Amino acid sequence: MAETEKYPTRGQAALRWLLAAIFFSAVGASGAFSGLMNKAGLLYLVLGSVAAALMGFRGPEIATAFRQAAGQAGSAESLGRSAHFWEAAARNAWILGALGSALNFTIALGTPSDGIGETSVRMIQAFLVTLYGLVLAVVCLVPAVKLSGKAENARRQGEARQTAETGGPARAAFRAVTPDRIAGYVLFAAVLVLSVFLLVAGLPQTGPLPIAKVLLHWPAILVVIGGAIALALFMGAGAGARAWTLGFAMTGFVGLLTGLIQALLGFAHRNIGEIASACAFIISASAFSLLGLVAAAAPLEDREIMDGRRDKPSALSRLFWVVFPLLTFIFLVLTFIMVVTPMTKPGG
Amino acid sequence: MTDENKTGLDVDDLLRRALADDLPADVAAGMRRRIERVRAGATEKGAPAGAWAWLFRRSVWAALAVLMLIAGFLLQGARSRSPLADRILELKAAAVNFETPRS
Repeated sequence: MAETEKYPTRGQAALRWLLAAIFFSAVGASGAFSGLMNKAGLLYLVLGSVAAALMGFRGPEIATAFRQAAGQAGSAESLGRSAHFWEAAARNAWILGALGSALNFTIALGTPSDGIGETSVRMIQAFLVTLYGLVLAVVCLVPAVKLSGKAENARRQGEARQTAETGGPARAAFRAVTPDRIAGYVLFAAVLVLSVFLLVAGLPQTGPLPIAKVLLHWPAILVVIGGAIALALFMGAGAGARAWTLGFAMTGFVGLLTGLIQALLGFAHRNIGEIASACAFIISASAFSLLGLVAAAAPLEDREIMDGRRDKPSALSRLFWVVFPLLTFIFLVLTFIMVVTPMTKPGG
Repeated sequence: MTDENKTGLDVDDLLRRALADDLPADVAAGMRRRIERVRAGATEKGAPAGAWAWLFRRSVWAALAVLMLIAGFLLQGARSRSPLADRILELKAAAVNFETPRS
């Protein structure tokens, strides 16, 4: 009876996904939203999400999550883990979207242009990557919500715990380096490099080195890395990977506020140099904090949950995963306004 | 002292007391081997462990992190030049020229 019920459920799920894919393909092919197309950004987001999934999860865990999203049954524990995979995928898409916007924004500012008008268009197109990230996050949240509901129901029914679905029992021991994780990090690095090359392709430039120099604003890098390490050490080993999430997010937030205050002071002093330095600090601090969140903190938290050392992410981590990319987006918009707003001399 | 070493010493002590006069040769050899192994382990681990322990000492990382933090804020406060800030400066200057009212 259970088997006969399983197949219609799978069929319905596949049909829903097929209809959604047809709808999005039709919308894309219609050209109605051609102004919302950023091919390099879209490619970065999709490949970056795959890489981020590999950094935090093993192959069998990912395969199980996909099968269970398509309707396969499982134990409460297995369904709960698959729900966490989809939640993490949504989180990664959202963070990667904001990170993509920050990187795109830096490249838009860093490459020579015919004037402020052309640079403004490039900066606005950078925001599209956050929009893509948001859409992908919503798509990933659908199976996450469904599977967590199923897991809750299974727990209520007092189902016996089974862990065989994920390829074996939960490992208490933490193996930091696995082939999947190495592949994930290599792919992630490749995606970042490829995206930068795709974005700068066709733009006037004197070689890749100036872009690398533009991306590295050392004061922001020092503040983000130093602050994250200091906060993680201060919280101690007991906090686990959450310490890194808090460290990167809080340091990034401090960096954003510092940059904003410096920029406002620059406006008050009518000092363009100060405003430019502050804008560079805001963009770089947000980019490196997001990079730390998605490449270091989030995979560590995922492994803690998948290895059974924690039941679920902490409320504070979830809050930072949602709020910090949103803050980044808001601060990038503020930076855009600060860059394009002309300053007139007093009494002129 | 670890639990394993403590258990080993307890067993050695028991054997020594039970066989005070005539400790069998193989037991004596086993005890010597155990002592040698412990000594060799201590000398092998000694030198690199010291260097690694220093490297992974929390206070070293804490000092390094605080130094990075201070250096970052000082550099930013001093408005150190960076290619990104220079480009924004150029764009801001261009925007000023673009918006200058014609009298």
